[in-house]
Amino acid sequence: MSCEDIEPEVMEKIQDIVVFMCNECGQGSANTAGVARMAYNPAIRIVRVQCTGQVGPIQIMDALNNGADAVACVGCCLGACHFFNGNILSMHRIKLLKKVFKELGYSDQFVNQYTSRAAEGETAVGDFEDLVIRLSNAIREEGTIKDGC
Amino acid sequence: MDVRIFQFNGCNKCFNETILLNGESKYKIEFIEDPKNWKEMKTDVSVITGYLLPEDKDTLEKIKSNSKRVVGYGNCTTMGGIFALANQRGYEVSPLSSFIEETEKVNGCLGEIEELSVAINSEAAPKLQNLCAVCARETTCDYLESVHRQIELEDETTCFNDLGYLCNGFVAKECKERCIDYNAPCRGCKPIIDRSGIRMLGMFGTLMGNIEVATEHSELGATDKLADRDDDITDSLPDVLGNFFRFTLSTSGLPRGRIPSSGNILNDVFTGRLIEELPLISGLLGGNRSISLTLKIIETYETANSIEVSEQTKKYRKELLDLESQLQEAIKSKDPKQYKKITDEIRKIGGNMNLSNVYFGGFKAQIDDKDNFEDYKAHVFDVVEGTYKNGSVEFTIDPIGIVKEIKIKEG
Repeated sequence: MSCEDIEPEVMEKIQDIVVFMCNECGQGSANTAGVARMAYNPAIRIVRVQCTGQVGPIQIMDALNNGADAVACVGCCLGACHFFNGNILSMHRIKLLKKVFKELGYSDQFVNQYTSRAAEGETAVGDFEDLVIRLSNAIREEGTIKDGC
Repeated sequence: MDVRIFQFNGCNKCFNETILLNGESKYKIEFIEDPKNWKEMKTDVSVITGYLLPEDKDTLEKIKSNSKRVVGYGNCTTMGGIFALANQRGYEVSPLSSFIEETEKVNGCLGEIEELSVAINSEAAPKLQNLCAVCARETTCDYLESVHRQIELEDETTCFNDLGYLCNGFVAKECKERCIDYNAPCRGCKPIIDRSGIRMLGMFGTLMGNIEVATEHSELGATDKLADRDDDITDSLPDVLGNFFRFTLSTSGLPRGRIPSSGNILNDVFTGRLIEELPLISGLLGGNRSISLTLKIIETYETANSIEVSEQTKKYRKELLDLESQLQEAIKSKDPKQYKKITDEIRKIGGNMNLSNVYFGGFKAQIDDKDNFEDYKAHVFDVVEGTYKNGSVEFTIDPIGIVKEIKIKEG
């Protein structure tokens, strides 16, 4: 499945996806993608952070409460964090937050974490595509995060 | 000074505690147990206790328009409290600030009566430190190797979080109830910061940095992503909501839950919690009957799984039950001296009014210096799947120890 196969009525519900990208690999790969003029979904809103380890449940919930449809973090590859282990710590927190969503009866696809490689633009664009597809599946099955609030 | 104390829904532990103000001559106190039918009259200070639902809005506005100042007392009123856990199942338990603009609030489960008198007199509230600053245990903040659900009473000098028990002390203020003194990690009923639950989630997630998190290969991106399957992180914390948002779910900014409700708020609060948490929760919300409810849950489980209970434990439990019936009489007569005397006795055995000391198999801390603690020391027990029934309490737990279904008949 690719982004083109998503029905327009589901696509309509995906307006804003906040993606926190780390300044090193995450933002690097997005830059590479930009240089190569690769297209990605217009719903993606990139927020540059120093490291995904900076992004915690507070920032993620603030984004969701202020209208984001989903939030994702894109960090360095495992073992390649430019600080020490920020990407791993971020994964731990996002995993707990995913569990919170499950316990509240929501899909756990509203928050996600990816890694990318600065030299390869297709990793960032691929992450965005994966994100949109997962979100569209979640919306089709369980509705958006705004339903029922 | 005219003080009117209103009890809304839920347990009346905080409402009962206000009996202690009854003895002070500077207040003219009136207790109102049925605020809906309250005859409006002007009052200096209104104290609100109990959890609040959307249908209480009109009553609260009526109280607000008749009072010079409104004080929210206890966690249920100020932050939704333990009953807000039912929001997981679609209820709308909300804090007082979402209905009316409150002048003061006194957090805590149980809220401290000294803080309430300060708030009533509109004096400056004392500055309280972080709980960790007054805790005797020492922390290293190293990454955890594993997370434990049940406490082992051996190490009494290392921080609970370092040992792998989730303690909310990082985000809590120092308090009088001090569960930490009774080997019960802090439950964060008196937060020192806003949105304490979600901050603690981030903090503890970081502490878990050494524990294996599942990742998987992302086909489209050709790098790694967080896997969807369960891993050590989720397995070691089977009930994240109940652990981190025990009192703050309605103010945490999380969306309202979409899990179908059983129709009874009390049962919904308990469903989804862990077996080892049950006595802690029933101790919090049983109100007048908290002791008998807590002991009933514990004894049901003990008898069914033949957990040995010593004579000394039974003796202390019996004493607690006797104290409960005496407490009910004191509440009826609204006698502050009697109430103080009995609650002090309960605190001596149960640790605090939330019964932090009471546990499966015995007690968590030594009650009397003359006793041999080994006689009634609580120990780690096995989680056994099954349905447990004893009179008015019936509950089913799954293999991990999560309560799937519970029925509590009132009284």
